[in-house]
Amino acid sequence: MMVHVLSCWVVLLMLLAVELFVAAAGSGWGIGACAGVMALLIAYGFMRITRAPALAFIFAVGGLFWLSILLALGSLDSFTRTNFPVGDTLSSTAHDPRTPPDTAP
Amino acid sequence: MSEHPEPYDSPQHRDETAIAGMWLFLASEILLFGGLFLIFVVYSHSHAAGWALGVRHTSLVIGGINTVLLLTSSMVYILGVEAARNGNARGIIQAGLGAAALGMTFLCLKGWEWHTEFGEHLFPGPGFAIGGPQAGGAQLFYSFYFLSTALHGLHMLVGIGLIAWVCLRTYRGRGRLLQVMPVEVVGLYWSFVDLVWILLFPVLYLIGRV
Amino acid sequence: MAPISGPDTTQRSYLWQDGTVRSWLLTTDHKRIALLYMASITAFFVLGSVGAALIRLHLISPTGAILSDATYSRMFTMHGIVMVWLFLVPSIPVTLGNFLVPLMLGAKDLAFPRLNLISWYLFIMAGALVVYGLFRGGLETGWTFYTPLSTDYTQGRVLPVVAGVFLSGFSSIATGVNFIISIHQLRAPGLTWYRLPLMLWALYATSVIFVLATPVLSITLLLLAFEHFFHVGVFDPALGGDPLLFQHLFWFYSHPAVYIMILPGMGVVSEVVSTFCHKPVFGYRFVAWSSISIAAIGFLVWGHHMFVAGTSLYAAVVFSMLSFLVSVPSAIKVFNWLGTMHGGAIRLDAPMLYAMGFIGLFTVGGLTGLFLASLASDVHLTQTYFVVAHFHYIMVGGMVSAYFAGLHYWWPKITGRMYPEMWGRTAAALLFFGFNLTFFPQFILGYEGMPRRYATYPAQFQVLNVLSSAGASILALAYILPLIYFTWSLFRGAPATDNPWQATGLEWRTSSPPPVENFITPPVVTHEAYDYAALDHPDTAQRAEAPHV
Repeated sequence: MMVHVLSCWVVLLMLLAVELFVAAAGSGWGIGACAGVMALLIAYGFMRITRAPALAFIFAVGGLFWLSILLALGSLDSFTRTNFPVGDTLSSTAHDPRTPPDTAP
Repeated sequence: MSEHPEPYDSPQHRDETAIAGMWLFLASEILLFGGLFLIFVVYSHSHAAGWALGVRHTSLVIGGINTVLLLTSSMVYILGVEAARNGNARGIIQAGLGAAALGMTFLCLKGWEWHTEFGEHLFPGPGFAIGGPQAGGAQLFYSFYFLSTALHGLHMLVGIGLIAWVCLRTYRGRGRLLQVMPVEVVGLYWSFVDLVWILLFPVLYLIGRV
Repeated sequence: MAPISGPDTTQRSYLWQDGTVRSWLLTTDHKRIALLYMASITAFFVLGSVGAALIRLHLISPTGAILSDATYSRMFTMHGIVMVWLFLVPSIPVTLGNFLVPLMLGAKDLAFPRLNLISWYLFIMAGALVVYGLFRGGLETGWTFYTPLSTDYTQGRVLPVVAGVFLSGFSSIATGVNFIISIHQLRAPGLTWYRLPLMLWALYATSVIFVLATPVLSITLLLLAFEHFFHVGVFDPALGGDPLLFQHLFWFYSHPAVYIMILPGMGVVSEVVSTFCHKPVFGYRFVAWSSISIAAIGFLVWGHHMFVAGTSLYAAVVFSMLSFLVSVPSAIKVFNWLGTMHGGAIRLDAPMLYAMGFIGLFTVGGLTGLFLASLASDVHLTQTYFVVAHFHYIMVGGMVSAYFAGLHYWWPKITGRMYPEMWGRTAAALLFFGFNLTFFPQFILGYEGMPRRYATYPAQFQVLNVLSSAGASILALAYILPLIYFTWSLFRGAPATDNPWQATGLEWRTSSPPPVENFITPPVVTHEAYDYAALDHPDTAQRAEAPHV
């Protein structure tokens, strides 16, 4: 068991190194992938989600599912707003030609 | 306190219930931090340049060291959970104190980082250090930075408190039958705090840096 | 402390086991905690009602009768905050739910009894903070705390009130965790999921919202307090921040919270309708799963609160379409209740009158919601009294009716005493008529364009406003009456039998009031839910049970 925990930890540190390397290369997706794998490794290796009662898995998946609703529907508005765009008013309203005109009828 | 009858069938039933309860609470915590991540998703897109400018002002060295510390702390505590399963009370206390010490080191480094950032006028408000066209986005980043690190730090403090409680009750309970469940439940929380940092670290220090 | 007079069973009941104040304040017995909660939310209900009374009194005159404009804003804010967070959200779950969940499960207590007590203390601290903030200056933001009004421009006491609401959120989360885990882990032998009373399905769905939506409110309020206190921008448009992001986060909680405020009521109505028709609920599985789907779909529709706020048209269209979806499970419930009543031998006792009031008023509230979910008509109706009337039909017509239905229905079980039936029916009728007189005129007012949250209005709206205020006084009577006769019945009410309504459900198999450990012998479930045949013909039922004994 100790070996299991320690090897998890070593892999996590290696992933951290990879993450830093990928960050230096400037790949946003690579950083995200590394962080995601590390998070999964903690859930499976440290928190032992597979050995917990089945309920634990359901709750964890439920939490992630509702998180995805929050992030998806919550950002939908900002990403598709054209009539009053989310803008950097301190810096951009005065002379930012990219701000499209109000196209709402 | 008048002792009300316990609702469980057996000690095993009680432990399983407690662990399921902790996982449900952690699901709730996911959504707590989820609100913060929505802020990140929206602003890092709508204010990409200013946000990245903010990221470039954070201290990657301290952030990186802290990530290693926290991963190690989590691992050390899990060794304590294994010790508990083997009935080794000493192992619990040693691992708990080690994990708590690593956590405190994390918080001290974080405090130092905050201190330098206050010195550099990176706390949002009048007199904010970063000027120019991207000032707004950078301020939004630093609002996010200070709030998320404060919230995470608060969770760490709670976690360290819980670990201290586990060590104390293990110490007091010497000679009696060792209860694995409290050790395990606190471990779940402590690993979760670690997990949150694993996701916060790239958001605060890496994405947009280069 | 022994009862002055009463049946012998009360001697070993949870009520009289140990009468010291200390034993009540440190109790981990879910039944006692339910009563602690009941006393607290009744106090908050009175406070919120006083606010409503002053608002309606003020609006008798077009120029405003009694309050200054600023005080008026603070008054409707107080009414909203107290009623939503300190009464409606906790109401049925923490009182009836706390009392009934273990009884209905056949368990000795909730899964985490101490957490349950902690949640009450959190709630009391939350209430104290909110009341402190409201009396030391109040707040003019409305219950929604929209930024930047709440962060930059408010003159009111934002911090204590927000801190209070924040704390009450943790109390809700604790209750939600307790209910979900209890329903998973503590069901009596033989009590399968499809044998659970529908009340438990409803409370399960409510708890899902408690656990998964409330934390988003917590973080939102934290961001708000952070911005207000340190004057840093998170939602500040001057920095390019997006105030609408606050609204998204706020409504991510607060729209599902609407279902927190109605789902438990639906659970109560399912129980009451079945019992007083003496028939199983029509389409049990549909009603059960409609609770779950209301909770799930309820998370997808929050954007309909923001159609005119300047959100993206694409997002608005998506949210509008999703909003229409919620009406499907809601309608399933209404039709199934009617299907249950169809051909039943309906007894019109007070709980049933309240439940029937619920069905009618909820239907009106639900159908008017469709006008607000449609993009075009919402532009005309939003921010008018139409919205006020709509959500009061759900919250008051629905939830408060259901709360009273449940209180009357389980009162014999909770206290061991019957309430006076005639007075109960009178109060139920008064509630229905008073409510309609108060809020139906507001639909017309809103349709004609009277905006909400203004202290004055054009003179042509006066007749309808006076009607509404007159209705509010009848409504007040309908609230005061139960307060009086329930208190009276505690001391003088006829002793209740174990199962006065001939209902199914495990809670009716124990004594009234229940003993401390809920059941003297742990129950075993051998029948489907609402199996009245087994109840009416115990001989055949016992034969069926025999192999299990």
